[in-house]
Amino acid sequence: MSKEPVAVVGIGQTKHVAARHDVSIAGLVREAAQRALDDATLTWADIDAVVIGKAPDFFEGLMMPELYLADALGAVGKPMLRVHTAGSVGGSTALVAANLVAARVHGTVLTLAFEKQSESNAMWGLSLPIPFQQPLLAGAGGFFAPHVRAYMRRTGAPDTVGSLVAYKDRRNALLNPYAHLHERDITLEKVQASPMLWDPIRYSETCPSSDGACAMVLTDRAGAARSPHPPAWVHGGAMRSEPTLFAGKDFVSPRAGKDCAADVYRQAGIADPRREIDAVEMYVPFSWYEPMWLENLGFAAEGEGWKLTESGVTELDGDLPVNPSGGVLSTNPIGASGMIRFAEAALQVRGRAGEHQVEGARRALGHAYGGGSQFFSMWLVGSEPPSR
Amino acid sequence: MPEVLSAPLVVEFPFTRSLGPVQSAFLTGLRERTVLGVRTSDGRTLVPPVEYDPATAEELRDLVEVAATGTVTTWAWNPSPRRGQPLERPFAWVLVRLDGADTALLHALDAPGPDAVRTGMRVRVRWAPERAGAITDIACFEPYESESAGEPSPHTGEFNAPVTGIVAPARLDYTYSPGRAQAGYIEALADHRTVGERCPVCRKVYVPPRGACPTCGVATDERVEVGPAGTVTTYCIVNIKAKNLDIEVPYVYAHIALDGADLALHGRIGGIPYDQVRMGLRVEPVWTEGGRHPDHYRPTGEPDADYDTYKELI
Repeated sequence: MSKEPVAVVGIGQTKHVAARHDVSIAGLVREAAQRALDDATLTWADIDAVVIGKAPDFFEGLMMPELYLADALGAVGKPMLRVHTAGSVGGSTALVAANLVAARVHGTVLTLAFEKQSESNAMWGLSLPIPFQQPLLAGAGGFFAPHVRAYMRRTGAPDTVGSLVAYKDRRNALLNPYAHLHERDITLEKVQASPMLWDPIRYSETCPSSDGACAMVLTDRAGAARSPHPPAWVHGGAMRSEPTLFAGKDFVSPRAGKDCAADVYRQAGIADPRREIDAVEMYVPFSWYEPMWLENLGFAAEGEGWKLTESGVTELDGDLPVNPSGGVLSTNPIGASGMIRFAEAALQVRGRAGEHQVEGARRALGHAYGGGSQFFSMWLVGSEPPSR
Repeated sequence: MPEVLSAPLVVEFPFTRSLGPVQSAFLTGLRERTVLGVRTSDGRTLVPPVEYDPATAEELRDLVEVAATGTVTTWAWNPSPRRGQPLERPFAWVLVRLDGADTALLHALDAPGPDAVRTGMRVRVRWAPERAGAITDIACFEPYESESAGEPSPHTGEFNAPVTGIVAPARLDYTYSPGRAQAGYIEALADHRTVGERCPVCRKVYVPPRGACPTCGVATDERVEVGPAGTVTTYCIVNIKAKNLDIEVPYVYAHIALDGADLALHGRIGGIPYDQVRMGLRVEPVWTEGGRHPDHYRPTGEPDADYDTYKELI
């Protein structure tokens, strides 16, 4: 029996900010969920199941969100699942929800991911004082910066490429009313003059710390037929994982990422992602991950990703716009960041991305990763239903 | 059989929570000796109040005041209270339906023993002398014979100086045991030696050893001494001072592949200006008195390693 085609008919986000002191976590998720329902013109009674994701427990000190948030998300009396895959969780959560529809377990599923970074300390959560072990010496940026240097060495990329990504993403964010950072006076010179935190990563090339939530309503063909707005159709979705550290790991271009992308393209019938995909929302917490993921995801040959960035291909008006929403570099409620990528990809093919709409986008990729490049999740969405 | 290493691991953090309008009114009310509930569209009164109706998912904002007296709906005796619980002496956990409410609130009942507690008994709030806008503003419940008070009365939920956030400290107490492979590694470090374990299938040497190869999925037990010298495979220069770390910035945080190891470990580079560190630099550990791990690594003075010798390790 073939799979049920899955459609995204509702998308909702909160305005992402540094601190939402005015709402509880329940109030925050409710806001995004209500907007997704409104977009789909559905009510709580139309939802058959709820699938949620959030950052690791120690990041936020919220151990059982599926219990605490059941009434805020209208899940009482319905199946409610929680997904947990570090920073990629927003993507994996959406895929679990999509699979429930594809398998015809449920007709219409609400999926949501969130984080209130202002009420916790992610850096503390990442550096628990494990007995007998040497404490982490460098913080999150320090974990990733050596991999960026390795990428630069491997490819010979000029050291300005990272600043180009940051300058692009922060300008794209100005077009996205939900983005956290709105740096109206941003210039390339300011990015390049910002303090070097973890050389080779500058302050302006790092993601902010945000409070926010993102929700989507996924449904089957019958649900899509009732949708007042054009749906986004899921053409492929996959997850892969690998250990954070192992002998032979390619930290610059992890195999799990390559395999995950290849699986998605196979499902979607994509032979040449660079030509056949119109927009990409990828998880870029530090600017240099754009060229790194361009290679890992098959948009450029090994060693060539930075050339796409440098030549403007990934600009909003370029041939392959990357992170038209402003990306993780402009908005980072960690637990929600993956789902925001998936949702923004869907907004693009629905033609509902507003000022940051990529003209004529018909196929878009949403990408998330997490842990120490340990978990990958991706989906490819299109404006037309899948043909097979 | 070597002694099994173990040590306490306490994970503790003061998480903060914004309350939102309903919980803010509820906790501020407790500070003012006022118990608030919330009314649903079908006329039920939920105490403690919630922001969203569990039955209909509707947003709830219609606050009401209920009595400080109520009835025990069920209970369990707690003979040995733990740290942080409402009373230090044995007490009963009770669900109390306050007069005017349709749901019950969980709290402690101060009673001399389980024989003094029964379902259906009448109780009242014992207010804490110092109140700050927290559930602990109710010190506990106490037995109190009274007629059931009447209907709940509407309340605006407005108070002077409302409480808008709380601190919710979390603490977990673990006993951490690193296991056989890690213990062997730690013991060797005490002699300033670094040991790893070789996978019997792929022959890769893991440092620190994990007792298993994550690629092949088999146990490892062949111990291999590596180093002491190694090669900087990649690094970053840290310019921001981390909390709890007594290291002057800038410093170099490097991935170091010790000779004979098949993946790099992480360490600080010293004994050379930070801006002269490079990929391929040959380094060796520097130990300080009583240190469990090398304090840092310094240049050996050997020529740099050729990129091809370590490029598979980055």
